[in-house]
Amino acid sequence: MSLAAEAFVSQIAAAEPWPENATLYQPLKEDQILLSDCASSLAVQAYLRMCGLPVQVRCRANAEYMSPSGKVPFIHVGNQVISELGPIVQFTKAKGHSLSDGLDDVQRAEMKAYMELVNNMLLTAELYIQWCDDNTAAEWEIRRKMSAVGWAGKSLEQVYEDVSQCCQALSQRLGTQPYFFNKQPTELDALVFGHIFTILTTRLTNDELADRIKAYSNLLAFCRRIEQSYFDEQDKDGQSGSSRFSKGPSLI
Amino acid sequence: METNMATPMELLCWGGDWDLPSVHTESLIVLAYAKFAGANLIAKPIDWTWRTITTTVPQLHHDGATVTEPTYILNYLRKQRFNADYDLTAKQGADTMAYIALVEEKLRPALLHTFWVDSENYSNLTRPWFSSHSPFPLNFFVPARHATLALSRILLTKGEAPLHSIAEVEGKIYSEAKECLNLLSHRLGTAHYFFGNTPTSLDAFVFGYIAPLHKANLPSGQLQNHLKQLTNLCQFCNAILKNYFTDGTPGSPPSSQETVDANLQKLTQLVNKESNLLEKMDDNLRSSPQHRPHRTKPKPSALSNEKNLTPA
Repeated sequence: MSLAAEAFVSQIAAAEPWPENATLYQPLKEDQILLSDCASSLAVQAYLRMCGLPVQVRCRANAEYMSPSGKVPFIHVGNQVISELGPIVQFTKAKGHSLSDGLDDVQRAEMKAYMELVNNMLLTAELYIQWCDDNTAAEWEIRRKMSAVGWAGKSLEQVYEDVSQCCQALSQRLGTQPYFFNKQPTELDALVFGHIFTILTTRLTNDELADRIKAYSNLLAFCRRIEQSYFDEQDKDGQSGSSRFSKGPSLI
Repeated sequence: METNMATPMELLCWGGDWDLPSVHTESLIVLAYAKFAGANLIAKPIDWTWRTITTTVPQLHHDGATVTEPTYILNYLRKQRFNADYDLTAKQGADTMAYIALVEEKLRPALLHTFWVDSENYSNLTRPWFSSHSPFPLNFFVPARHATLALSRILLTKGEAPLHSIAEVEGKIYSEAKECLNLLSHRLGTAHYFFGNTPTSLDAFVFGYIAPLHKANLPSGQLQNHLKQLTNLCQFCNAILKNYFTDGTPGSPPSSQETVDANLQKLTQLVNKESNLLEKMDDNLRSSPQHRPHRTKPKPSALSNEKNLTPA
């Protein structure tokens, strides 16, 4: 969003409380959904649940075309449509909901830095692996983006290694704490959960990536904890028309 | 340790100016890290050679190995036991990765834009500098090539539909860059370096990114002005330059080659001046009163730029 549009959205957002019928749109599951899109959608869902903001999840074949920015997921709240985690976090903040208000400046800097690490490494790796994985459709846009960020020359092995290093950094940062900033989850926790959980539960032709992540037991425990705390009870309601969050085997 | 000292390590990089050992971010990162880690690198500027178009810099040569890209070069140096991060805890190592990701994602696009896409900066500073540091006829296309790469990189990573044009992306990338600088300033606080009293690879990365912004003589400098307000970051830059780079900049060409290349350099400079003069004459013709003027502000003459930028 341009700066002016962002300011405008914030103003409108502040005016109304969170409605009951807020909806999140993502592409259809199974073949159509990209690994990275699935992770992004899960991150947003986790974030909203952590904020205690109810949202229904709808899968649509043409979700990307419905989205104003072409990116998924997007949420439809009142008469506004916002896509991607960053803008959605700002939007909820304008409505008075925030997970990171309690952080001081240095902590906030750390949080943003780690979120970029996740975006840089995991998101790019997911795109790359999807591109290399024969069973999924390779998009020319992915190739262009890979070249732009310098990943075109990387081998698959190097990508796995990079992901391992990223997970090692996350694991070390998390330590023995329940969440990255100790007792309370923030958008960083939502983002990490979205990506790690997706990688662990998606069936690719090669399980190497999932295996590498499983080596970090505190990350596994972290994902289980979030799944249990924020996703298990709600799913029992079984809302019609919306999909279950867990698309495959759960971690529990 | 024995084999390290036997064969010298050479680093191909862009040369220095503006009080910096190199004007090029990636080269600066490696040069700074080498100083922090006590690695004896022989810096070989590619200026005025054909390598300005054939070679990716920075590039490390050692014992038959060739390594490119700052991250991989730093890894290589660490393996050779030149490790500035030796005393970091595991968490600090993780923080390093995260902050480097932050800088690359949030600061680099705006820096690329400032130097290579902003038309005032590009025409008045960047293009003349790289042009005058490339041999004829490469001076015509080395800068343009960098500029195109920079632009496409920004658009591909930042230009999401419907923000496909650079003008729409500009606002966003500059505000993100300013926020990133603020975050770095918060994180640094009153410390000398990011992890205490000795500099590490994170310091090298941050230095590499902000030093050119701090020192270059940019006509259009909104990001530079923002940086100047963050005094601890400016002091951070100056401290590194003072403590690690005052004893003769590594960017200057090694004396053994100087005499050999001196004549070639002079000849190339003369030819560059000539071609710049021709370019300027062309520009003047186009902007003469008979034609509708495109710009009303006076452009600095190409010749005076040459005098300022070529090292003595």
